[in-house]
Amino acid sequence: MIVSYCVSRIAYLLFFVASAAPGEGVGKILLAGAMMLGLGTGFAVVLLIASKKLKVEVDPKIEQIHAALPNLDCGACGFAGCGSYAKAVLDDPELLGKCAPGGSEVLDAIASILNLQVSDSGPAKRPIVHCRSRRDQRTFHAEYYGIPSCTAANALANAQACKFGCLGFGDCTRACKFDALHVVEGLATVDYDKCTGCTACSKACPRGLIEMVPFGQENMMTVACNSIETGKAARSMCKVGCIGCGVCAKQTDQFIVEDNLARLDYTRYEPSEAAEKAMQKCPTGVIVYRGPTAPEPRQPKEKPAAVAEAKKGD
Amino acid sequence: MDTVNALILAFISIVIVNNLVFTKFLGICPYLGVSGRIDMAFGMGMAVTFVVTLSGTLTYMINNWILMRLGLDVARYVCFILVIAGAVQLVEMYIRKFFPSLYESFGIFLPLITTNCAILGLCLFLDLWGVGSLLEAVVLSFGAGVGFTMAICIMAGIRENLKMADVPECLKGAPITLITAGLLALAFMGFAGMIR
Repeated sequence: MIVSYCVSRIAYLLFFVASAAPGEGVGKILLAGAMMLGLGTGFAVVLLIASKKLKVEVDPKIEQIHAALPNLDCGACGFAGCGSYAKAVLDDPELLGKCAPGGSEVLDAIASILNLQVSDSGPAKRPIVHCRSRRDQRTFHAEYYGIPSCTAANALANAQACKFGCLGFGDCTRACKFDALHVVEGLATVDYDKCTGCTACSKACPRGLIEMVPFGQENMMTVACNSIETGKAARSMCKVGCIGCGVCAKQTDQFIVEDNLARLDYTRYEPSEAAEKAMQKCPTGVIVYRGPTAPEPRQPKEKPAAVAEAKKGD
Repeated sequence: MDTVNALILAFISIVIVNNLVFTKFLGICPYLGVSGRIDMAFGMGMAVTFVVTLSGTLTYMINNWILMRLGLDVARYVCFILVIAGAVQLVEMYIRKFFPSLYESFGIFLPLITTNCAILGLCLFLDLWGVGSLLEAVVLSFGAGVGFTMAICIMAGIRENLKMADVPECLKGAPITLITAGLLALAFMGFAGMIR
């Protein structure tokens, strides 16, 4: 489409020039074209000779590794692009496995190029947003009219009541190169089918809400909150925040409550009845599943029943 | 003797009085980007000097002997960029072959010499100022490169010392660099009008 547009523009230009000064205009264009062609050819010849004379021998392994990499230039490995990572990993095999989008396949490919054996590095890491609060579940003291960016809003005290939760201005969305993160009703939501685990979002979030978690299961259970406020304060700010009541920790020791905030030990997590029960008993419903086929989280309006049950359990 | 005098004056003028970086604010991108360390700054200055001398001379010849005669002044920009890009490619190959470590540390800034506006600016100034002879054009082109090297090396020297200085937290990094650049430009404005 662009090509046809360009062709039509050039044709129009030619027509315009030809009609303005018949004969002379076209001649000039041809002259200019011939001159540019001549200059270009001249430089091409000089550069060709130079490239032959100044040829640099490059280790063919670098090119092989580069070809094995996904060529996304996402920067997850900490290098400027796939090219510089290929060079670095050849010098220092310790850097193997830094390519998050490539995962274990690329790791094996590079290892075989370098004649190395790799041990299993555990499940791939994927981001989890430690907040589950939609816009209508949060408390706002004032309306924010500032720059629509999380970093800017985070610099203000009162962009929203909760000082820990998702701000929903999408710094992570802009950081994501794979269209795998979207702000849905004010909450950053990961599309796990598109996510490659490149860690760009976790670096972009000014509140450090997005943690890279080893996904041992297809769907991981998580405490989707980052607030260390006391229970009462957390409740006043958010309908679905963690109040640090410790009901979940009583069900299974996979949950640990520290600083009024429950956390799941992701490395030890396995689907179990106890974990499921902890999720059901959570008074604010902050324990949810995250993953490609995660079920919709429970609505917070079921709260009273859950609280009553939790009290009975005590 | 008059010619030699004129050439010396032209050289001093382009290096100090009409320095492209300080008075025309051209080539700011590498001036701020590669002025972290003085050896890198000097290397960049050398590369730019080579490119600007080569392309300034070539574009002067192309402009006066081909474009003007054929009445193709409109194609000036395109031709100049072509020459500059070619020269940069040449420099890139040369540095990659003989100074690999310098090549690594330049990174993207080396191919970006193509878009260094000090070089295109100088090529266009040669035409704008109505430079009369090829010799003067060569001297001016070389002088522009020397001026750029001087500017970037002064900046790098200051920035190396700034690392030890007690800069207020809010001014660390880019802000203090920009302030330094502004003060330097102000200082060099003092030469304004000495020659031409």
